[in-house]
Amino acid sequence: MTRVTVWLGHLVILGAAIAAAVLALGFLAGSAPAVHVALPRFFPFVSMSLAVDGLSAFFLVVIALVTAAAALYGPSYLAGHAKAPGVQTVALAVFVACMALVCCAGDLVTFLLAWEGMTLASWVLVVADGSEENARAGLLYLVMAHAGTAALLVAFLTLAERAHGFDFAAVRAAARGLDGGERTALFMLALAGFGAKAGVVPLHVWLPKAHPAAPSHASALMSGVMLKVALYGIFRFGFDLLAPAGGRLPASWGWTVLLLGTASAVIGVLLALQQHDLKRLLAFHSVENVGIILIGAGVAMLLGGGRGARPLATLALAAALLHTLNHAAFKGLLFLGAGSVLARTGVRNMEELGGLARRMPWTAWLFLLGAVAISALPPLNGFVSEWMTFQALLLGGVRLGGASGLLAGVAASMLALTGGLAAACFAKAFGVTFLGRPRTAHAEHAVESPAPMIAGMLLLALACLALGLAPGWAMRLLDRPTAELLGGAGASAAVTSSGPLVLSAGDAAAGLGATSISVTASAALLALLAALAWALRGWPRKAPRRLAPTWTCGMTPTARFDYTGTAFAKPLRLIFAALYRPRREVLKETGPNPYVIRRLGYAGEVVDLAETVLYAQVKHWVTAGAHEIRTYSTGRIHGYIAFVLVTLVVSLLLFAKA
Amino acid sequence: MESSVAHLARTALQAALLVLLGPLVTGFIQKLKARLQCRRGASLWQPYRDLAKLLRKGTVQSDTASPFFRAIPVLVLAATVTTAAMLPVLWAPSGPSSLPLGDAILLVALLALARFLLAIGALDAGGAFGGMGASREMTVGLLVEPALMLAVFSVAVSGGTTDVGLLAARREALALSWTAPDLLALFAMLILALAETGRIPVDNPDTHLELTMLHEGMLLEHSGPGLACIVLATHVKQLVILTLVAALFLPLGLARGAAPGELALALAAFAVKVVLLATFLGLVESSYAKLRFFRVPQFLGLGLVCAFLALALRVL
Repeated sequence: MTRVTVWLGHLVILGAAIAAAVLALGFLAGSAPAVHVALPRFFPFVSMSLAVDGLSAFFLVVIALVTAAAALYGPSYLAGHAKAPGVQTVALAVFVACMALVCCAGDLVTFLLAWEGMTLASWVLVVADGSEENARAGLLYLVMAHAGTAALLVAFLTLAERAHGFDFAAVRAAARGLDGGERTALFMLALAGFGAKAGVVPLHVWLPKAHPAAPSHASALMSGVMLKVALYGIFRFGFDLLAPAGGRLPASWGWTVLLLGTASAVIGVLLALQQHDLKRLLAFHSVENVGIILIGAGVAMLLGGGRGARPLATLALAAALLHTLNHAAFKGLLFLGAGSVLARTGVRNMEELGGLARRMPWTAWLFLLGAVAISALPPLNGFVSEWMTFQALLLGGVRLGGASGLLAGVAASMLALTGGLAAACFAKAFGVTFLGRPRTAHAEHAVESPAPMIAGMLLLALACLALGLAPGWAMRLLDRPTAELLGGAGASAAVTSSGPLVLSAGDAAAGLGATSISVTASAALLALLAALAWALRGWPRKAPRRLAPTWTCGMTPTARFDYTGTAFAKPLRLIFAALYRPRREVLKETGPNPYVIRRLGYAGEVVDLAETVLYAQVKHWVTAGAHEIRTYSTGRIHGYIAFVLVTLVVSLLLFAKA
Repeated sequence: MESSVAHLARTALQAALLVLLGPLVTGFIQKLKARLQCRRGASLWQPYRDLAKLLRKGTVQSDTASPFFRAIPVLVLAATVTTAAMLPVLWAPSGPSSLPLGDAILLVALLALARFLLAIGALDAGGAFGGMGASREMTVGLLVEPALMLAVFSVAVSGGTTDVGLLAARREALALSWTAPDLLALFAMLILALAETGRIPVDNPDTHLELTMLHEGMLLEHSGPGLACIVLATHVKQLVILTLVAALFLPLGLARGAAPGELALALAAFAVKVVLLATFLGLVESSYAKLRFFRVPQFLGLGLVCAFLALALRVL
């Protein structure tokens, strides 16, 4: 009975996702005016509404893509080992609906209600399996999410007070009249609030704990989509609602976003490299990719609206938005792949896996495809958006000159470092999990996942291929959002010059010619050469081919000879020791003879500096503050009533208007 | 915009030239090293003989390897040869082409793809040497990338594009009137070239001792024609890196048309440039010891600092 209900629930979600995708794609491809729907009056003091423009529709496409894959994947996954699958299905539906609602909200109240619903529904998914560890992760998630919401609330209420209403149109009009300092303060509050949800360093600590805890298709939605909904907030407030009249954003915004993005990208991937838990590794990569998106957004902010740099700003924003979609596709795929491994082996620690490529071939090859995409290697989609980000940084750096130009150069080099680290990380993750010999019985006896789960992964894999090989068509989707946020002609005019298969980036105004690439052509050339080499290899004569055990210096090969993930990442642990602060303990137990070791124990870990330094300090302050006010916190009710009364009177005196 | 057919023909010819000459450059460096060590050394053509020998041999494959293992040498070779099609060897492009392939970022990314696939293959066989080689090679690769990107950007800033062919064509006019940023970027590029071509002081191409090998460690489980593909890819990659350095910093003597005299001049210029850079590799390899692996980041850090200064001088 429950199984049928769960399937029905997921099919409803799938249907809704397909419908939303079709509508949003139609909206993006056409030129229909923005949709505005008033909602029934729910609160006496505020009228709520939905407003869908190009940016909303684009994010609806992102949500719908991963939701469709998750809905296909979910029922079989939950059938395996889930507690309360019915509750999880309902929570999933609410979660997805709230995310869509955030992107379609037409006023601050609707936005905030949907935002809160999204947080609570995803919290239910995080704690669904009822374990102690997940409950703690869920608590941290709730605390961080609400700290972010508090920052948003301050920004929203200030705006609403200025606008005398909650409607986005009123807010937009009121924001034109803000002075520079106020505008920047409000933006920074919004950035902090959305950044806490998006996992921007140093507000990322909850993310690698909470995302892996949810069931894998929900992890895919949280990492692939929920973070993007927070980025939607940054785009909406930074480029649209809070933008000044001329459209030229303050330089401090661009600098902040660019610096935060660069830091998130590098720190996220460095921490990901040292994880053994497959899902936690993927969660840290979400921090990295949010950073890459913010790099694009930061360059767009620095260039936006000023001195004829509009095509360049469009290029940067298009890079950020395209990476949003790309990351949703490949991160969703990777989380579903990790979930497939988890469902079949019950293990998330890659050191206990190995050899799964022969046992679960579909999962393995689809995971490899996602790994190539996320490592920004051609010819898949991750490369396309990173190429655009590189071009935006280079051309933008030349255009900006001075300190901003140098910052752009540094960001470009850090982006290159990020790409290299991601490739190393996924060589490790894929190699240790899927290749070599199985290290435990869990891996030894694994079998391939059922067809619906494969279908979910296949959908996202096809999206990765299509977005990589025909990027020009993806640019068409970005036309409306970029034109809305920056003005000008839109993404495909700025980035495609000769047909949808060729991307080009240039700054004609600065006398710089365009750089063009065709990922499609190079992929075709790659395939042609591979076919040629394959044919040539067998050509001289049909040489014999035989199988033999791997050479292990004369000993019998066992799984103990396989390189472990910990060993693979060791060079980087030593090179970046200042950041990792690695701890290493080797326990030797010897018998009477000191040369004969009976037992050897090894323990090692790396720390997240943000967690150990920054958060430990904050915790220390909070505890000290609590101690300080202890004398006033007597537990007697009249004392508290007196406090409330005094606060109320003082507030009224301070803030009440004549 | 030149005609597509002529463009394709030129691209194919240049790629074929790099593939065919790749082993010869290795042979030249080996010969040079031997002469510097007062040995006669093997013939210049030895790398070709080795390839022919490998192609005739049978294959022994690890029984733990996945089916993908067989495809890896082919894909590595294909990715490397694709980069060979992206460089101006004899001709400078007259303008943007309808089939743009020459972007430096794409070139670096394709080399990274080849490295990634090789690392996957090394982990596939399930031996510790493969894993060790893969781990070290990926580490060196990711340390090279940021410096390489900065060096390429510092040149791209002056040329206004990251298309290597167009960059060479535009900079040909001011060739050899180097300014400080050019010299710094060239110095950085030479350091990075040593790492990317897997030469001393970063890696030792002659060793099969497990403690010192990086690149070779990943090749241990490949044999026969598959190994031939990877070895050929290594030769081609070396020449691609040298040609990239030449295109960025010595864009001299590139032909515009197909006149025989012009072509002969371009070929001679290409030969001189490659011999010059190959001699540099051989000389460094003969006069330095291999660095301890954990000293390599400092060596590459020197390249990073120089490349950063080059970019700073250009942008500020």
